[in-house]
Amino acid sequence: MQATTDPHPLRRWLPLTEFLRAYGAIVGMAAVLLLVGVINPSFLSYGNVGNVLRQSTVLVILSFGLTIVLFLRGVDLSVAQIADVAALAAAALLIHHQPVWLAFVAPVVLGVLIGSLNGVMMAYLGVPAIIGSLGTMFIIRSGEMIYTKGNEPQILFTLPRSITENFLFLGQKTIGSIPALVILAIVVFCLAWGLSALTSFGRYARAVGSNVRASFLAGVDTRLVFAAGFVVSGLFAAIAGVAMASRTAIAVPRGAEPYLLDAFAACYLGTLASRNGTLSIPGTVVGALFVSFLSNGLTILGLGAPTRFALNGVFILLAMAVGALRRPA
Amino acid sequence: MAKTQTEQNVRQALSAAPFALECRGVRKLFPGVAALEGIDLGVRRGEIHALVGQNGAGKSTLVKVLTGVYQPTSGEILIEGRGAQLEGPAAAEAAGIVIVHQDQQLVGQFDVTRNIFLGREIVRGGLLDFGSMRRIAQTLLDRMGARFAVTALARDLSVAQRELVAIAAALLREPKVLILDEPTASLSNAEAETMFDIVRRLRSAGVTIIYISHYLDEVFDLADRITVLRDGRLVSTHAVAETTRQQVIDQMVGRSLSQLFPKENVALGEPMLVVKGLSYKKIVDNVSLTIRAGEILGVAGLLGAGRTELAMTLIGALRRSGGSVSLAGRPSAPSSPRAAKRQGFALIPEDRRHEGLITDLSMRENLSLAAIARFTRWGLLRLGVERAAANDLVERLRIIPPNLSTLTRNLSGGNQQKVVIGRWLLRDARVFIFDEPTTGVDVGSKVEIYKQMTAVARGGAAVLFISSDFEELIGMCDRIAVMRRGVVTATHAARDLDVQSLMSLATAADAQSSNRAFNVSQSAAAKDLGARSSLGAVLSRWGTIAGMALVFAAIGAMAPNFLSPANLLDVLKQGSLLAFVALGLTAVLVAGGFDMSAGAINQLASNLAAGAIAKGVGTAAALIVGVGAGLATGLFNAVLVLLFRMPPFIATLGSMFVAMGLTLLFNRGQALTLYDQPFFFGIGQGAVGSIPTISILLAVTLSALHVLFKHTSAGLRMYAVGENLAAAQLRGIDRRRAVLTSFLTGGAVLGLSGVVLASYSYGASATAVAFDFLISALAAAFLGTSLSRTGELDMVGTTVAALFLASLSNGLILLGVSNLALPGIQGGVLILSILIGVIGKRGIGQITIF
Repeated sequence: MQATTDPHPLRRWLPLTEFLRAYGAIVGMAAVLLLVGVINPSFLSYGNVGNVLRQSTVLVILSFGLTIVLFLRGVDLSVAQIADVAALAAAALLIHHQPVWLAFVAPVVLGVLIGSLNGVMMAYLGVPAIIGSLGTMFIIRSGEMIYTKGNEPQILFTLPRSITENFLFLGQKTIGSIPALVILAIVVFCLAWGLSALTSFGRYARAVGSNVRASFLAGVDTRLVFAAGFVVSGLFAAIAGVAMASRTAIAVPRGAEPYLLDAFAACYLGTLASRNGTLSIPGTVVGALFVSFLSNGLTILGLGAPTRFALNGVFILLAMAVGALRRPA
Repeated sequence: MAKTQTEQNVRQALSAAPFALECRGVRKLFPGVAALEGIDLGVRRGEIHALVGQNGAGKSTLVKVLTGVYQPTSGEILIEGRGAQLEGPAAAEAAGIVIVHQDQQLVGQFDVTRNIFLGREIVRGGLLDFGSMRRIAQTLLDRMGARFAVTALARDLSVAQRELVAIAAALLREPKVLILDEPTASLSNAEAETMFDIVRRLRSAGVTIIYISHYLDEVFDLADRITVLRDGRLVSTHAVAETTRQQVIDQMVGRSLSQLFPKENVALGEPMLVVKGLSYKKIVDNVSLTIRAGEILGVAGLLGAGRTELAMTLIGALRRSGGSVSLAGRPSAPSSPRAAKRQGFALIPEDRRHEGLITDLSMRENLSLAAIARFTRWGLLRLGVERAAANDLVERLRIIPPNLSTLTRNLSGGNQQKVVIGRWLLRDARVFIFDEPTTGVDVGSKVEIYKQMTAVARGGAAVLFISSDFEELIGMCDRIAVMRRGVVTATHAARDLDVQSLMSLATAADAQSSNRAFNVSQSAAAKDLGARSSLGAVLSRWGTIAGMALVFAAIGAMAPNFLSPANLLDVLKQGSLLAFVALGLTAVLVAGGFDMSAGAINQLASNLAAGAIAKGVGTAAALIVGVGAGLATGLFNAVLVLLFRMPPFIATLGSMFVAMGLTLLFNRGQALTLYDQPFFFGIGQGAVGSIPTISILLAVTLSALHVLFKHTSAGLRMYAVGENLAAAQLRGIDRRRAVLTSFLTGGAVLGLSGVVLASYSYGASATAVAFDFLISALAAAFLGTSLSRTGELDMVGTTVAALFLASLSNGLILLGVSNLALPGIQGGVLILSILIGVIGKRGIGQITIF
């Protein structure tokens, strides 16, 4: 008898809401950036865009690792610190006249090692990720500060060019007309996306992140998968750190810390960009680029760190609020 | 003989008693189904009225209507002769209908008294009156003949004892009708006997009881009258004397709807699975089974008989406590479902939506999950091969819609089950365990599932088929084992059984376990508690404190200055500062979940307070500004968590950003240094006699918080919500109120901590140290949990831990350890303090973010 009344009156609005759900966030982000460009045209100049793209590499790569851990329903608060320690290690190795290949490889190995310790702690000992990685973060920070006797930066740009040239190539030179850093970011993007979409690890990660119990009963080694997430995040964080040292030719202790919060913002903004509101590697790229361009734009407009902090927070909350609205009640 | 005589007298008296509860023509329609149809039920005052029926007969719907969870489509409910509107669980409880669910949730960290009174606390002068509550709790336990202490922690109680606590809590509400839902389902025989005795005592005390049970023998032993439900209709209500077990079974089963079972006769091979004396605690008790290749062995049993646990023990998801298993002649003792999978086990779990499917993933991803290794080369998925295999399965199982990218959450029950089964067809499994595969599945899909079961048997696998649908067991199995309370009592050839005889076997109580067991359990219950003090228990209770004392002594020995009064007072002052922040954080952690913004709130409040002082408004105004800022941020967090349903971690991460941004906007990146404010500086730097003012302030704040959280009903409820939300909500506790109180209290204390910080450091610093504060405070809060008896967050524990962390820093610096190492040491202490709590729990450290 009630069959004739529409139980979902909202359905009638579907075409518009559907469009907004799918693309609204991206349209919104583009609009914000365009607005900045209109107010100050130099924001969208070729030089500035290229510059921001180069700068954003570190954040993009760092966010990939975090995305994968968040995928698994974990969290890694130590990513920025791992990037830091990797940058310091690379710089210190060069300063101590070690070969360039070692300056690339050793920090990455170190990152993987720290990631493995995190993985053992969260997956095998059962420490909640949020607490465990916070602890790791502070232990690494102490290590850094002790090594640098306070906060002395490891300066590369005062070293003879012959030592640093090959190391700094990654961060400062171009291949053809494309900055080497951007190429690195694209390579890492392919790695991260491939890892999440094309490998058995990616498949297991989605399963463990969605339902641990069912995965466990289906014979998935849930501990190993959860631990592997932290290893991957350590790996990407370390790559980001080396890229940062190479770009700036200096490694300042705690220099990467601001990226932690930016990376969270990038991941959550990324959920807005993806169609069904889930974490995804491509979404994270969009989020990280938006965060980078926005902070550059705000600087160009003469607004500083406070606004950035506040906006980061507002955007995370907005992303979550929109996500909550998207889910059917 | 005398006993029987009195029982008969009682029953005669009852037959004249008026109705305590009456249903008249109660109907409940769900889209497409009539779950209840014209129920006319009368429960007489003071009787035990049993409600029996097969799964799906409408018992649980009726109970939900009676307890206000569902509203009847038509019909009326009368309580003591008067019409009652049961608009919700709270209304039903107010009307006098109280239910005790099986495996009722309790708050593990609360003692018996708190659990009984949760939601109905006795308050005198605003404070919880523990004296009266303990006395009443003791009376209630005495009434039931229970012999454990009212101060015992719920988590230390046995399942049976927990049920008694739940019943005591129900009795406290002075029910007109007490509904006991399967009270013996998870009890051992001995414990069940105790329960029967208690139910009889309650009847003697005049309590009207609706007793729901699958076990007909116990129903006949216990009840005065029996109502049989079938297919949503009330079939009959009889006094036990007027009916027989066989008659009730016939009425439960009804006309035999003969369904087509695609059973094939398969030539049986060698024994494939041989189980000898397998045990898991007392839940699976010395089970022996043999299944031959090609054979389908049914396990008939009721809810709580240990069937699912048997399956879980076989595949290594539960650790067996004894017995041996061999698979195709080889010993099998898998340590995990993964190892079991490799040996050739396949499990189709009972709870399809939570244990079988991964509902957020597509059909394709679900289908290939158990066999991904087959589709992987060098770690890369061979997507084409996988797709082909999945498509093949979709066709074979006729899964609708035949679209691999469909999210399994959107499939119908039958198709969901086909996906879970299909997952295992990709592997050459040799033992298939089907645990209730056809519950909530449409008829067409049922046949499809039976066909697959036949097909795997034909392929030479052994099938273990667990079900409480006796008709399908008889239709599909070669042999059927009957399982009851963990024990396999008998194995029969399926052709020798009909539904009635199988039901009769499964619902019987064990004859040999009568009153003898009752006495045993009473004495066991009595000595169960109190005798638990082993070395391990002592260590986990006092280990942290001993460790702290040891550290103190060691530092004191190496750096004599450390224990000088001047230094200790100095440490006390520093520690008080941290303790303030940690207390605020703890207040939020108790019920609000998490607070990433604690440090940022402290910073914001300290800047605002310093700014207010600089403007010359005075200390009182600065205090109001600081605490107000804290309250506002706490309110903001609560709104995000409650209205926008954000997980606390994300919500407070977002507000951390916002608070940091506001702080920087306010101070423009400049330190705010104050001069010449002796009164204001007195808060943080002054002293009364030789005791620092800040520490006195801390003691006052701590006392207030301690009273609020441990001695008021608001505090009790916040703890309950934080520790076991389900249990709290069963007692009608409003989560929103508890979370709001928690965030507001925390916010106010964090705001206060900011004001204190501004005074202590003669102004506010510009650098964003919000994160540093957060970790120290977290370390203090979690270290504090290892100080309390129950391992719960505790204001006193937090304070002691904060003071300890401050003295540790101070001591290490005195010893010449670089202050650069301090954050790392705090990080280490944080991890260690958490490890004490999580070790042995064997979970993984996932957190809820979405």
